[in-house]
Amino acid sequence: MSTAGRTTEVGRTRPTGMKIATVIAGAVIFLLLAIPLAVQVITAFRGPFLPFGVSTAKWSADNFVTLWELREDFWAVLGSTAVFVGGSTIISLLLAFGLAWVTVRTDVPFRRVISVLVVVPFIIPPIVKAQAYQLMLSPESGVLNQLLRLLPGDLVIDPYSFATMTVVQSLTNVTFPFLMIVPILTSMDGSLEESARVSGASWGQTLRRVTLPMLWPGLLGVAVLTGILGLGSLEIPLLFGQEAGKNIFALKLWNLISAGAGELPQYGLAAAWGCVFLVITTIAFVIYLRATRSAERRASISGKGFRPTIMKLGAWKVPVLVAVFVFVLLTAILPMFALLWSAITPYPIAFSFEALASQTQWGAFGEVLADPEFWASLGRTLLIAGASATIACVAATVLAYGIARGRRTGWSKGMDLFASSSVAIPAVIAGFAMFLTFLVINPVIPLAGTIVALVIAYSYRVSIAYRSGYSATLQIRKELEEAALVSGASPLEGFRRVVVPLLLPTVFAVWIQMFILGTNEFTLPAFLATPESRPLSVYMYAMISPRSAQLYQPDQGAAMALIFTLLVFAIGYGLQWAVSLRAIGRARRRLTIPGLGTRATAAVPNDPPAPATRAVAAQGLEEQRELASVAE
Amino acid sequence: MTTPHPTTAADGGGRLIVDGLEKHYSLDGADVPVVKGVTFTIEPGTFTSLLGPSGCGKTTTLRCVAGLETSNGGTISLDGRVLSTASSHVSPDKRDVGMVFQNYAIWPHMSVFANAVFPLQVSGSRLPKQEARKRAMEALELVQLDGYAHRPATALSGGQQQRLALARALAHRPKLLLLDEPLSNLDAKLRDTMRNELRRLQQQLGITALYVTHDQSEALSMSDRVAVMNGGRIVQEATPRELYYQPADRFVADFVGRVNMIPAVVQGRDANGDAIVSAFGTKLVTPCPAELGTGSEVTVTFRPESVRWHETAPDRPNVLPARVVRVEFLGEIVEVEVEVLDGRAVAGTLVARGAPLDSPANGSSVFIELAPPACRVLAD
Repeated sequence: MSTAGRTTEVGRTRPTGMKIATVIAGAVIFLLLAIPLAVQVITAFRGPFLPFGVSTAKWSADNFVTLWELREDFWAVLGSTAVFVGGSTIISLLLAFGLAWVTVRTDVPFRRVISVLVVVPFIIPPIVKAQAYQLMLSPESGVLNQLLRLLPGDLVIDPYSFATMTVVQSLTNVTFPFLMIVPILTSMDGSLEESARVSGASWGQTLRRVTLPMLWPGLLGVAVLTGILGLGSLEIPLLFGQEAGKNIFALKLWNLISAGAGELPQYGLAAAWGCVFLVITTIAFVIYLRATRSAERRASISGKGFRPTIMKLGAWKVPVLVAVFVFVLLTAILPMFALLWSAITPYPIAFSFEALASQTQWGAFGEVLADPEFWASLGRTLLIAGASATIACVAATVLAYGIARGRRTGWSKGMDLFASSSVAIPAVIAGFAMFLTFLVINPVIPLAGTIVALVIAYSYRVSIAYRSGYSATLQIRKELEEAALVSGASPLEGFRRVVVPLLLPTVFAVWIQMFILGTNEFTLPAFLATPESRPLSVYMYAMISPRSAQLYQPDQGAAMALIFTLLVFAIGYGLQWAVSLRAIGRARRRLTIPGLGTRATAAVPNDPPAPATRAVAAQGLEEQRELASVAE
Repeated sequence: MTTPHPTTAADGGGRLIVDGLEKHYSLDGADVPVVKGVTFTIEPGTFTSLLGPSGCGKTTTLRCVAGLETSNGGTISLDGRVLSTASSHVSPDKRDVGMVFQNYAIWPHMSVFANAVFPLQVSGSRLPKQEARKRAMEALELVQLDGYAHRPATALSGGQQQRLALARALAHRPKLLLLDEPLSNLDAKLRDTMRNELRRLQQQLGITALYVTHDQSEALSMSDRVAVMNGGRIVQEATPRELYYQPADRFVADFVGRVNMIPAVVQGRDANGDAIVSAFGTKLVTPCPAELGTGSEVTVTFRPESVRWHETAPDRPNVLPARVVRVEFLGEIVEVEVEVLDGRAVAGTLVARGAPLDSPANGSSVFIELAPPACRVLAD
């Protein structure tokens, strides 16, 4: 490298090649997100079918006019969606807040067990959860309704009512807000509440006047993300809502493009719907951004290792435990039981010991394992999930590093916002927009229905990796790189030997998370996959959907769901374990854990903790926080 | 890399010349000058501090010398080699400098040894494996960390990390050692120890050192020369004693140690050539630059520890009646605030420091003596 003539910029500590890599990564992410959305908007304004290459395509606002002409339908969809998404989000949040509060801020016994029981269902594929709830709630054979019949009163839950659907949706989405609320509660400085208590406020007054006002921007952010997640997922409306839920946006969009025989699907109208909801989620995303900014301002994270104050439950311990047990029963035990029961019975029958003795058979598991299509779709699942996680992680990390370390310009700020914005795109819109895009480009680049199309579509969740990469880069203090430079390392050597090793743990963790998300993905492939490219989740749906005539095998579907779930568990925990073996070794080297004696050997006993150690500890905390906050 | 063994080197340092250094930052489109024509020279093997309040440009100056910032003007040269001009810039890895960062910047994913050996493995001064190992261990020995070589770097205490950062900065035997407030993260007692150790090492190795701090006691105790910076400029560069007793202006007087400042007007000269000034409604005798003629408005400055108090008025110049309004016991000294009396009226307040044992009682009347040699007059 020449030593002269390099005077253009301030603080050149990153490799020049990094700039090119940043631009490429930025372009990849931009194309990944911008093109499908652009295609969707164009479709909304260009005709009833496809926007290009067909005779009907011309610029017009007809689709929006149609929306307005069918305004009763329009308001019905908005209303239905608002009640469904709003209701389920509120219930999810209340449950998540309650559970998080119980595990973080009270002395209830078995706190660790409870949080594991809340978190573990996160790994169950959403389509499996939907199926399990459906089985559990079946009016005749469902185990929950059977239990209710044991109670006095004539209580039977109708699985296909709107209210049931809303509650089921909320129950499937508790883990996500829980994972986000726990760090918010954990990082709250207990002394703020203690000072309110010392000032004479009761527990209730403290909660109302200090705790909740401090927490609410954070909680608002959680609510927005949970809402967008709920808006985007197709599973519950698809399985439960064919009647009561037909006006819920996700299902509406799905039905619009699944045309009946002999008619063209109304892509233009569906795209117009997509645009309407994209505007709504954009507004929600802006609210989210403001809320998180405000939450950051209020965050009282001083890094001093304070503990939140613990509320003593006393006599309330038993009721709280019972409530938690009911929650676990409803979200884990009964659904899994219903799934297992369905897998070992040839047709839907109510549980009885008699039936257990005479009617059960385990053949469905064998049939699934002997089904070549099962293995083929499993293979595709792993391939798609792995490839998309890799693309998203590499592009996002490179871009995040470039932006976090580069100069703040209008460009970089815009790109930062854009790369973070995929959380604002509901999965159904992403799936539909990608579907349209591949149809449009198919004459030139024939990818529609292929595995490549699925890989590209799955990569749209790039923001998860981007946000983690960004905060991980900020955690690597710039001096660490500068120290390499003044030690005589070239920028590239410094990057390779200092930055990469420090970023890798975060990238691995996010990769695993995205990989699991990918294996569980249903909404995107529901729009994009063909029988030749479908992943396991879609194949399984075909088995349990009565409409797929020759494939309909509910017992095999249930068996497959169980095997699927076990596989995801095995893969998820296996990968995490493999990484943690490394990470533990790394942590031993990196972290000074108070009380474990590493400090005790220090020569000068009254040294304050070294800043690097604190920063690394903070990084550990920050990583968890970030992981929790981006978990989708 | 032909320098002798570092523990015996007495000529390891280079001469640093910084001439007219300029550095601007662009902030919201506007060009904000941070360093405005800083000029100084550090002789080989000597220790110079840049002292100033935060935002005065001292750290930016240091980072320009390290090559971490690109200067906008002026030249920097080390041992005759030009490192930076307005149009050229040698990158940090080719400058042959070592640097200790404020928060040490110890790489948390490496062991103590891996941190220390790093400068010897990278392109700046790559050595054969055995040689690199030997040199890194020597550097660790210098800071008494050789017994910790295979510890994880973050298992070290703050003081040890500090020493590791120093070992790393010295491992490749640079011509110039840069230190950016390296002691500010340590507690007071450790800071004193490290101060002595740092100075001892620098003298033992004979390395040229540039030290940035906002702590005047660090600068005064360690340095051969101190450059006080304010607002992007060097306002005075001198030995620590000159700086303390002959501050160039009110800023330096106030920033370096505590000082009493009294507005006064020159009334004339006495037989010794000292000025007679009017202050506190009376006359004081003080040394004064000859160019300040009668009628000049000036500030008389003197250090609190130069003020003495007496129960009865001694027959010497500059003795003022006063009343004690505050007595603060600080351990090794006592600080006394007095109101100087002009008849019955209060003419002004002064702070004095002295041994606690003969401290006056609060509210008592005393006589304050300002010995003329301890006074210094600054032009307003």
